[in-house]
Amino acid sequence: MISSQAKDSIERIFYKAAQARLPMAPGDVCGIVAIKPNSAGAKDRTEGLTEGRAGDGGASRAGKPQTHTGQVVVLTISGILFRLMLLLHFNEDDSTRDYFVKDDAQSTFEEIVAEISNLCCGAMNQELLRYFPDLGMSTPYMLSAQCVPHLEDLKPSYLSSYAIQLGDSVHIVATLCVCADGPIDFVADVTAVEESSGELELF
Amino acid sequence: MAKILVVDDSSTVRDEVAGFLRKNGLDVDTAVDGKDGLAKLKASPGIKLVVSDVNMPNMDGLTMAEKIRGELANSAVNIIMLTTESSPAMKERGKAAGVKGWIVKPFKGDAVLETFRKLSS
Repeated sequence: MISSQAKDSIERIFYKAAQARLPMAPGDVCGIVAIKPNSAGAKDRTEGLTEGRAGDGGASRAGKPQTHTGQVVVLTISGILFRLMLLLHFNEDDSTRDYFVKDDAQSTFEEIVAEISNLCCGAMNQELLRYFPDLGMSTPYMLSAQCVPHLEDLKPSYLSSYAIQLGDSVHIVATLCVCADGPIDFVADVTAVEESSGELELF
Repeated sequence: MAKILVVDDSSTVRDEVAGFLRKNGLDVDTAVDGKDGLAKLKASPGIKLVVSDVNMPNMDGLTMAEKIRGELANSAVNIIMLTTESSPAMKERGKAAGVKGWIVKPFKGDAVLETFRKLSS
């Protein structure tokens, strides 16, 4: 129910959102590589990827796939035609904690990565709204990472995981799962530099 | 001094926004969701500006805005939404509820500081 160009569009929207919102500092390396073909057999996109930096729109080198332990941050974008779930799996090792928490003593690691994930999904939502004006987004919530293999039970029209590397030592795994309720076909233009976020729009 | 109320279920955002505003000399209180925001507003008549997230548990930011204008009959306080949401339908609902402005996250304090000062004075 999702055309190949729509799958490609969703993936490009995810890449753009992740590279814009996951790095904690402009200029941090943000490498993204698909680590599993989607359920419809789309080509693995690891070939020909080049290293990129946050904000430059480039894709990059491979990160390390992780096991399904710990917790994942889950967000949902829903509309009439589909439900998209974004799951982000952060290792809670020292380098990941240091990268995200830094000197923020007031917030927990979970709170910080939940907000980072919220910003990433929000950027995806903002792009998708250009093509699907009825979308709404959930708040972030935490689930056991053991839920990830069960996404296939939802019989998604699109399911793909990505290894993301931030800086030299931070590895995140993202999973995109889209369940379609009708035919989805669109071509996303993610080349436009639209940086309206952070600005106040007065009514 | 007039107060600004920052309403967000994310402590990270509350701390970031409130911390930035306090650092710049503004008097700030915080609330964890729309329900808490309404209670804080009732208890503190000095609040002149509410900066609120949209998607929150218990009561979302737009419902809170509607209740501020309706149940509290408070037409004086300025309400700004600070959210990842950018859908035209949500903005229209905000306008109808008397929301004064809309900011798509992430928060960039320098871009809005002077406007926040004016709206909270």
